Amino acid sequence: MTESACAGQSVFVSSEGERRARFESMATVVSDPVQRYLRRRATAGEADDVFADVLLTIWRRVDDVPDDAVLPWSYGVARRSLSNHRRAASRQLRLVERLEAERAPARVDDPADSLEDEALAAALGALPIADQEILRLWAWEHLEPREIAQTMGTTANAVSLRLSRARKKLADHLTRQDPSPPGHIGDRPTEEHRP
Amino acid sequence: MTDQLRERLARLDPMHPGVVTEPVSRHLLEEIMSTPVTDHPETGAKPKQSRWLLGVAAAAALVVAVGGAIALTGGGTDPVASGPPLVLNAGGEDPMAMCIVFSVEELAKAPIAFEGTVTTVEGETITLDVAEWFKGGDATQVVLNAPTGMEALIAGIPFEVGGQYLITAYGSDVNYCGFSGPSTPELRAAFEQAFGA
Repeated sequence: MTESACAGQSVFVSSEGERRARFESMATVVSDPVQRYLRRRATAGEADDVFADVLLTIWRRVDDVPDDAVLPWSYGVARRSLSNHRRAASRQLRLVERLEAERAPARVDDPADSLEDEALAAALGALPIADQEILRLWAWEHLEPREIAQTMGTTANAVSLRLSRARKKLADHLTRQDPSPPGHIGDRPTEEHRP
Repeated sequence: MTDQLRERLARLDPMHPGVVTEPVSRHLLEEIMSTPVTDHPETGAKPKQSRWLLGVAAAAALVVAVGGAIALTGGGTDPVASGPPLVLNAGGEDPMAMCIVFSVEELAKAPIAFEGTVTTVEGETITLDVAEWFKGGDATQVVLNAPTGMEALIAGIPFEVGGQYLITAYGSDVNYCGFSGPSTPELRAAFEQAFGA
């Protein structure tokens, strides 16, 4: 590793060998979690395309990736890449519709669990998009507020606040007696109302 | 409730642990590692002042940024915290002077790149809320300063409140010559290709 002046600051620049080794190490670390992240939010085709973009970004900016936050940094790249990918492609199909077609089989054995999950999914879907994403990063990617902040490009305090509010909103949705018309997913019984 | 809610949400995870992912293929890794690293000093990329910008900078009227300027990082963007407003010079009596032909390769050499929405245009000062950093910063706001008389067409770009713009800069100077401008699908695609995110 060598040091060079850059914009008035000293930056460390890896040799070609170091760069390759560092990239391959990072690719190994992020491969499974970033693919999961993308498959949770995109179709298989999109996920594959964007995953390659993420790896390319890591390769090009391997010296910029923080050692102590490789995964949140990579999630942040994946998030922006996916957003850009969709904008560039001008895809109009709603994500939910596409995901429904490709969603992996749910891990449900008990029909009551299925109803609970439907109610929870409906409640989650009723939240603002940003709140949904924070909750997913929290529950699916198992990130803590500081890491969610790194992923979403905001502050840990902001995430903590939003996460707290989102959890409360979700709990309110789940406990609310929703007089929705028959067939509406929101009137499925929640855990609290199950006999 | 917290842990219970987390567990219940986890049950909705379409990529639960029972779903396996494929490891990255050696072929893909090699393909990626054969990609030139355009803005990396080691790869022979030009130093910070590229020839096209030098031409523009020579024509530009330098405006001293007033207050709040931050020290720009020389490297990439850590998508973590946001800092104070970034202040850039957007002056230029003849912004089209000495432009070189636009290309994604040249675009990729810019150390600062972002997309923002203009919130205010007050005389010589334009403020943008950053929607997305592609490279080189983390400020949530960017202030563009222009010389007097250039308000209508700062840096050759007709800034309007509410408009979205894609901006690149070198040091503290906005790049012109098509390397910055209103956020069109074409320019957006070029930014995505150049900066990879």
